[in-house]
Amino acid sequence: MGITEKILCSSTHEYLLDNENGTFTIGLTDYAVEQLGDIVFLELPEVGSEYKKGESFAAIESVKAASEIYMPISGKILEINEPLVETPEELNQDVYENGWLVKVEATADAATEMNDLMEYEDYKESVH
Amino acid sequence: MTKETYLHEKHVALNAKMVDFAGWHMPVQYTTSIIEEHNTVRNAVGLFDVSHMGEVFVSGKDALKFLNSVVPQDISKLAYEKAVYCQLPNKDGGLIDDLIIYKLGITEYLIICNASRLDEDLNWLVRNKRGLDVKIDNQSHNFSLLAIQGPKAAELMQKMGLKTNQDSFTIKTGEVAGIKVLASRTGYTGEDGWEILVENEFSEYLWDKILEAGAEFGIKPIGLGARDTLRLEAALHLYGNDLDEKTTPVEAGLSWSIPKDKEEDYNGKAVIMEQLANGGTKKLIALKMLDKSIARHEYEVYFNGEKVGHVTSGAPSPTLGANIALAYVKNLNEICTGATVQVMIREKLHDAVVVKKPFVSKRNKVKGE
Repeated sequence: MGITEKILCSSTHEYLLDNENGTFTIGLTDYAVEQLGDIVFLELPEVGSEYKKGESFAAIESVKAASEIYMPISGKILEINEPLVETPEELNQDVYENGWLVKVEATADAATEMNDLMEYEDYKESVH
Repeated sequence: MTKETYLHEKHVALNAKMVDFAGWHMPVQYTTSIIEEHNTVRNAVGLFDVSHMGEVFVSGKDALKFLNSVVPQDISKLAYEKAVYCQLPNKDGGLIDDLIIYKLGITEYLIICNASRLDEDLNWLVRNKRGLDVKIDNQSHNFSLLAIQGPKAAELMQKMGLKTNQDSFTIKTGEVAGIKVLASRTGYTGEDGWEILVENEFSEYLWDKILEAGAEFGIKPIGLGARDTLRLEAALHLYGNDLDEKTTPVEAGLSWSIPKDKEEDYNGKAVIMEQLANGGTKKLIALKMLDKSIARHEYEVYFNGEKVGHVTSGAPSPTLGANIALAYVKNLNEICTGATVQVMIREKLHDAVVVKKPFVSKRNKVKGE
């Protein structure tokens, strides 16, 4: 199964990947990164911080503009992709393997919160 | 309604990402990388569609007298086929627009102005006629404007039949690929290059021919995204960001363009002359961020813990590999080259150092052979 068949996407262009061990990986969709163009800056949250679904937890900047990145579900930050902060331009190559942003521990609300998210194919359709 | 240039189909065919800019549907980038487009202009040559810009012909017995009454520059010193960078101040010295005036004949001039300000400019010019014998003829809808910019621009134009023995800031009639054009050796990138004024019906043909002939020089079409980072590196003002009706040319750092000895009166002269002597209430400074953060339009600027102004333009500089910005701050002597200020970015203060303008040395002062 390809990775795009496993992820869920938000209308604000984040993806959520269930790691099937109670943790989730969050990143930006390939479509979002393509729209942003050259990524030149990335700011990630501190490990241990907690965010509610819909809250801004990171910032990303392209040559043109600054954008916020929002939590697709509520959770506590377990791990951040530290090397990516040094080389944010790598996001333009790949958003999954090396281009993920954070890993989170979900809350009990995760299942309900995920109802708002779309499968990748539906997401692609919604943005085109 | 959003307007389209005569080259709109070309942009769509090239898969450009289109945006609304100043009432026009314009290409912001042709590829996924603005940085690549930027570097193409710095290292080779780029082609821009800037047909949205305004072209206004001013002619008649009193054309000189009229122009001298609306700009701080001394148009009587403008020689035939020469161009001069000008501003259009209101009565308080605030800027209605910035523009280039060209002398085309003894009583004929051309103004090229910002698309976003064309209507305001025309209104202002007509209101300032005051019974003078002058014709103000807006021809913006009849002309396309193609900019060819970069270190390879001269070789390309020569190959296409244009006589390139032309100084910077001059305009000549000529032929490019057999098409009659007005060729101005000016631009908005800090590089050598031309802005080619051509009748709409020939613009698509010329666009194709330039891309074809430019292939051997590595030419690429360049969108507004790279146009913005190029002009920012050259510290060239963008109207609406760095210039507006509440900002005088002195405050905008344009004193170099204003003669102190011009005798004729012009709108805003008293304020501008007073500020030339004593400075304005604010000043435009150039900033280089000291960390990886990027200062953007409207971010606040602090000095010694006090809010002193705001950023007007900010972006990464592909040429410098640093993040740069223009900002207006209180006219304090302490905020000088080398001083450190702070920019508020996402509720945190980030250090920036005041640097000299331009950020990247201009290479657009060329003597035609």
